[in-house]
Amino acid sequence: MWVERLVLVLMWLSGALVLVVFIPSNKRREGALALLVLQAIIWLCDLFAFRYGLLSAPVREFPKATDLSITINYFFYPALFAVFYSRRKEKAGLARRATMLVLWITCLTIFDGLIEQYTGLLEYGKITTYGMWLYLWLLYYTSLSFCDWFFKKRTLFRADRRRVL
Amino acid sequence: MRVDYWILASVYVISAGLIFLIPRDRIRLAVAAFLFKQAITFLIGLVVVQAGLIEYPIREFASVNRTSFSYEYFAFPLMCAYFNVRYPNGRSIPIQLGYYAVYSIVLTVMEVIIETYTDLIEYIHWEWYVSLITIGLSFWITRMFCVWFFAKASD
Repeated sequence: MWVERLVLVLMWLSGALVLVVFIPSNKRREGALALLVLQAIIWLCDLFAFRYGLLSAPVREFPKATDLSITINYFFYPALFAVFYSRRKEKAGLARRATMLVLWITCLTIFDGLIEQYTGLLEYGKITTYGMWLYLWLLYYTSLSFCDWFFKKRTLFRADRRRVL
Repeated sequence: MRVDYWILASVYVISAGLIFLIPRDRIRLAVAAFLFKQAITFLIGLVVVQAGLIEYPIREFASVNRTSFSYEYFAFPLMCAYFNVRYPNGRSIPIQLGYYAVYSIVLTVMEVIIETYTDLIEYIHWEWYVSLITIGLSFWITRMFCVWFFAKASD
């Protein structure tokens, strides 16, 4: 049990640290939106994934309130996505961007697999490692598309700014 | 029991209807407010259920989640999106405060009615005024986020 607690605390600390250190100060808004987008999408998808036994979280923060993992879904993976999104090379070619995404997803899958292997925070049910890679890629691709739509037109963004201030 | 499901369905229909009332040129403001509100309700909702303050006997994803998905993930954030796109910007303080009060009171009254007559939500250690205060507070925090988010050029 202490291993899981330690990992959770480390996830919160390192998540906060990467947000502060790796998100450029002029990209804070992009980071914030990216975090919120992945958070919303991963929660919805995980509800289905957990419901249909793809994976489970035997050791978790609020066992009474939910079967899902809160640290991973609510903070850690969204924080990693915020870093990925705010530091992506917008002007790079398609091949370079695709390679970055594949590398990042692969690292994330390995990390997820290690968490599954060595802690009780995650337990794969019907899902395989390849399935998890595809699942993470899908989460990233959906979130990336949404964020790109959101920030696509600066003029529209400014129009909303006039509405709120 | 049956009436509970009808109420749940109508919550979805009415909330979805709100989407069409959001002007297209303010869609980004709505999205930012929706997502940020969701992050608040999502976490507080879990804490409240974990602490045994509120229960949701009839709910979606019942086997894996004990909070109200429809309210915390969908209906309340959408309400907040609408709250922000229609916010009386630049008006006097009493009008702005009144705007907060109307939304908070209407939502609290609806919650109390649903609590009393259905099994969708049950107060265990909870009072209507706690709802009123937390709802009002969450509107305000979300508003502050939106003001920051759209405040000045991000790059």
